[in-house]
Amino acid sequence: MVLNPQQEEFRERAMTRERGGGVEAGAPVRQTSLWRDAWYRYRANRAAVVAGVLFIVLLLYCILVPIFSPHDPYAVDFSEAYLSPSLSHPFGTDQYGRDLFTRTALGGRISIGIGFAATIAIMVIGIVYGAISGFVGGRVDNGMMRFLDALYGLPYLPFAIIVTQLFRTVDFWVMVIALTIASWFTAARVVRGQIISLKENDYVRAAKAVGARWHRVLSRHLLPNTLGVLIVFVFLELPGVILGEAFLSFIGLGINPPKASWGSLAQDGRDVYLAHPSMILIPSIAIAWLILCAFFIADGLRDALDPRTRET
Amino acid sequence: MTKFVIRRLLWTIPVLLLVILFTFLLMRQIKGNPFRKTERAVPASIQANLDRKFHLDEPWYEQYGNYVKGVFTADLGPSLVLRNQNVNDIVRSHFPVSLELGAYAFLFAIVVGIPLGVLAALRANKPSDYIAMLVANAGFAVPSFLVATLLIYYFAVKWDVGVPTSGWTTWQSKVLPSIALGFFPMAYFARLVRGTMLETLQQDYVRTAKAKGLRPQRVVGLHVLRNSLIPVVTAAGPLLGAVITGSFIIETIFAIPGIGRYYVSSVSARDYSVTMGLTILYAVIVIFGNLVVDILYGFLDPRTREART
Amino acid sequence: MRKRTPFALALLVAVAALVAAGCGGGGGSSNNSSSGGSSGELAADQTITLAWGAEPPSLDPGLATDTTSSNVLLNIMDPLVKLNPTTLKPVPNLAQSWDVNGANVTFHLRHDGKWTNGQPVTASDFVYSWLRTMSPDLGADYAYQFYGIKGAQEYNGCDPKKDNCTALKGKVGVSAPDKYTLKVQLVSAQPWFVQQVAHHSFLAVNRSTVEKWGEKWTQPGHIVTNGPFKLAVWKHDAAIDLAKWNGWRNAKDVKLERANGKIITDGTTAVQSFSAGEVDVNTTGIPPADLPRLKSEETYQKYPALGTYYYGLNVKNVPLGQRRALAFAIDRKEIIDNIAQADQVPATGFSPKGIPGFSAVKNDYLEPTADVAKAKQMLAKTPNAKKHINLFVNDAPGHKEIAIAVQAAWKKLGIDVTLKQMEWAQFLEFLGPPPNKTVDAYRLGWIGDYVDDINFLELWTCKSGNNNTNYCNPKYDALIAKARATKDNAERYKIYGQAEDMLTGPNGDFPIIPIYWYTYVTQEAPSVKDSFNVNLLDQFDLSKVKVVSS
Repeated sequence: MVLNPQQEEFRERAMTRERGGGVEAGAPVRQTSLWRDAWYRYRANRAAVVAGVLFIVLLLYCILVPIFSPHDPYAVDFSEAYLSPSLSHPFGTDQYGRDLFTRTALGGRISIGIGFAATIAIMVIGIVYGAISGFVGGRVDNGMMRFLDALYGLPYLPFAIIVTQLFRTVDFWVMVIALTIASWFTAARVVRGQIISLKENDYVRAAKAVGARWHRVLSRHLLPNTLGVLIVFVFLELPGVILGEAFLSFIGLGINPPKASWGSLAQDGRDVYLAHPSMILIPSIAIAWLILCAFFIADGLRDALDPRTRET
Repeated sequence: MTKFVIRRLLWTIPVLLLVILFTFLLMRQIKGNPFRKTERAVPASIQANLDRKFHLDEPWYEQYGNYVKGVFTADLGPSLVLRNQNVNDIVRSHFPVSLELGAYAFLFAIVVGIPLGVLAALRANKPSDYIAMLVANAGFAVPSFLVATLLIYYFAVKWDVGVPTSGWTTWQSKVLPSIALGFFPMAYFARLVRGTMLETLQQDYVRTAKAKGLRPQRVVGLHVLRNSLIPVVTAAGPLLGAVITGSFIIETIFAIPGIGRYYVSSVSARDYSVTMGLTILYAVIVIFGNLVVDILYGFLDPRTREART
Repeated sequence: MRKRTPFALALLVAVAALVAAGCGGGGGSSNNSSSGGSSGELAADQTITLAWGAEPPSLDPGLATDTTSSNVLLNIMDPLVKLNPTTLKPVPNLAQSWDVNGANVTFHLRHDGKWTNGQPVTASDFVYSWLRTMSPDLGADYAYQFYGIKGAQEYNGCDPKKDNCTALKGKVGVSAPDKYTLKVQLVSAQPWFVQQVAHHSFLAVNRSTVEKWGEKWTQPGHIVTNGPFKLAVWKHDAAIDLAKWNGWRNAKDVKLERANGKIITDGTTAVQSFSAGEVDVNTTGIPPADLPRLKSEETYQKYPALGTYYYGLNVKNVPLGQRRALAFAIDRKEIIDNIAQADQVPATGFSPKGIPGFSAVKNDYLEPTADVAKAKQMLAKTPNAKKHINLFVNDAPGHKEIAIAVQAAWKKLGIDVTLKQMEWAQFLEFLGPPPNKTVDAYRLGWIGDYVDDINFLELWTCKSGNNNTNYCNPKYDALIAKARATKDNAERYKIYGQAEDMLTGPNGDFPIIPIYWYTYVTQEAPSVKDSFNVNLLDQFDLSKVKVVSS
């Protein structure tokens, strides 16, 4: 495989970079940071770039279309029902005559919003739990991990269902809470694993030997190095959360109408799919689009931020 | 090794108790009367009779205690909604169906996914790689309800190839649901295998073997495959658990009398004993699944064996 | 470096191709039912396959509460009376005749009723079964159906830990003076009692079977029945098959040999199954969104039902003038034509069309369409009208769609509506009674238990456990009490008319807004279309079904 000179140079530097971020003696001195390097590496990964662009396109669609759309997404007008796609209704209309182009965008706001909110919540809880468990170690760690095992025993989606039932009506934050509670364990495990493996690193031992306090070690050394992993984690966890929300909405336990999410739009669409297949296809494609973008971005980020994990 | 297994087995008891406690408390928090199924209000005396019959008028700790006792004597209690069956009956009649569905789905995932991943890795960056990854990514991203709907529409309705639209009776009826459920794990495996194989192919020892002059097939078969499969085995455990427990959408769409669909409806119906019984069942599956995977992992990857003991 | 073409793009192209194919192919479903008039000749194979809409929670007449259980039971057992499909008057079945003497009803049973285990069906079977259902130990949900019988409510309300229930049992007014005579003493004269006995909770069970097998007596291997069909197969959540029992007293008139049933709970799946020719009758239902497409086909069947879909209003929160305005702002016809789409009937009153006594009910105030101008006027005249209303619905399919239309309708009056969708069990808890303070409006339906309007009108009395509106009008209660005491049907129906007027008439209090009267829709293959019928109570009689060759 032929790389261009710039790629060659980065590859070279990546392979000689030491663990922990130091620069080997004698290597070419270049004023740059971990993040700039990561950015360049990311840019060189074509698939990740395309995915990033498509992701931004999707975000823009969801944010901008409802603002500029001439249609009221909540107006009921049966004379306009089930129109085929046209210039004024690029996706057609639904059973109530509401414009699907706008509704899908609004649904995207909710689905993506729930996705990110839940993922960030998962990350925060996971970081706290995993950091404590990994850092303190010993029996506390053991106990905390066994507790996690117990939680793993609760099946994901059914458990989320139980949690949604605790609340009277299901709105945005209820979904976020339910999905977070049902899936924060993986984050905790990942963080803990990272912390444990890094704890044994020389530079951490050195810091401890020098007498650095634990919170300094944690915040200055351990966490920044896990940050890369965590950012990748966000984009890896996002699809799971979005699919979870879609499934819950599909069986009818989702957001209240007239608000919609992609999952509830898909559920609406399934009833009529024999006559109007686009109504289930469009939200499903939107979900698929988001998931694929998230994955390629995650791949790209992982390669960019942590070059040790791949060799090609 | 045996010490490890015994230790893990002992840990399952407190874990299980914790799971039961969680679910028990959660279910009691959810408001709703399990005996009111229609809009008709339940007259007070009838409500009293029902509460008495199902011990719902006892204090919560008594109920919890009785329930735990029941679990350890393998009696999961009566169903509050299905009045002529108890939870054991329900599990006996529905669980094998879900198990079968999950197994077929998994089989599909392995039989199609792993070779796909191997093919993609061996022909990396060539057209067959792109096509294989296209299929894998589709399975990954497209939600299973769409996959199921499309499968039914094309194969059962439009082209009518001889598979029914729903049910779980003849072997033909088991094809579409298994594929629909197995699509996602298939994609997962394909991607995973491709990734790990590519990594392994670059490892020093592989290059050494090639340099030594070993035939490519032997290299691939012996060393690469075995080491690439380790992460697959690790992923397989929780994935199998997820497949079995997450099958309720497929079961609903295909009208399959499995346990997943039951779980969802029992939560809605406030059938406490069924919900708790099934949660325990799932917990047992997941816990033992993880245990099996860990043991297998120990066998497959000698490096971890020392680390653990 | 992994060099890949943008997979996302390629994938999207592929999916787009699928969309194009799907759009082009959509709408063409293969319908195997052969059209063309049936010759009317009986087919050689008298077997049908139908889709049941749910797994029956129980096939014990004392414990069954839903329509699937009810339908299975009424076909495998022999009720005392059946209802005439059009007039709904009681028709002799196992009871060949009866005498009504004020509060005493005596049934004379046929002598040829038999159980599948050879034992004869006697009056003491009924005494045993009814007492069993009334007993506090069984925990029967429908025990309240028996409260019209003397001593039943006391016996059912007895707490075995505290009171002497056996003594109360002895005081219940049902007895079998001889082998084929069943005597019932009611609390008061109830002209509708004989019709009520057609309900499945009044079916008899075989004593020796129940005593032998306890809770497991309904399993296919154990169950003992006395009706035209036997329970051949019951695979939970999968199938219920009924086979003709040649030992039934009137087996020679039953043409259908076997009714195989698949349990399909999802409407879309059932429709697919029907169009693929896998079932002959779809009783699961048709999703509202599929109705426009299927209505024009000849397999579509619609039956009137005794039920009212209504919106209740919390009279403590919503003043009278506003309640009337809200009622007039709703366009019932539009909702039916565009959302519900099953040819339901716009409800201009709470009593449903077809119920005995409907002729005496005027129903001429509310209109099928909206009268927004009138509504606005009424609202303007109400000084303390609410500007913002909370509307609660449960999350089953169809209700949120109707709620959205109602929300838009009330918006025209300048009222802001917040729609809250709740899960069913929570929804019911929330409604009480008394309803939660935040409830201004809610959606419910009421399906008749038996065919008399009192069953509907008594809902709105002060103490009714199904009155979630806080409506309490002593005059209304007095009217209902008077109706209960009136034995003559014509007189009683007049009182019903007055009661309905108090609810939805020109001076009505409108604690509720009726929306439509239910219909049952099915899909039926031409071979059984004529003989398969669903009555007003959602029951179908398989002993009348014939498969004709077409």
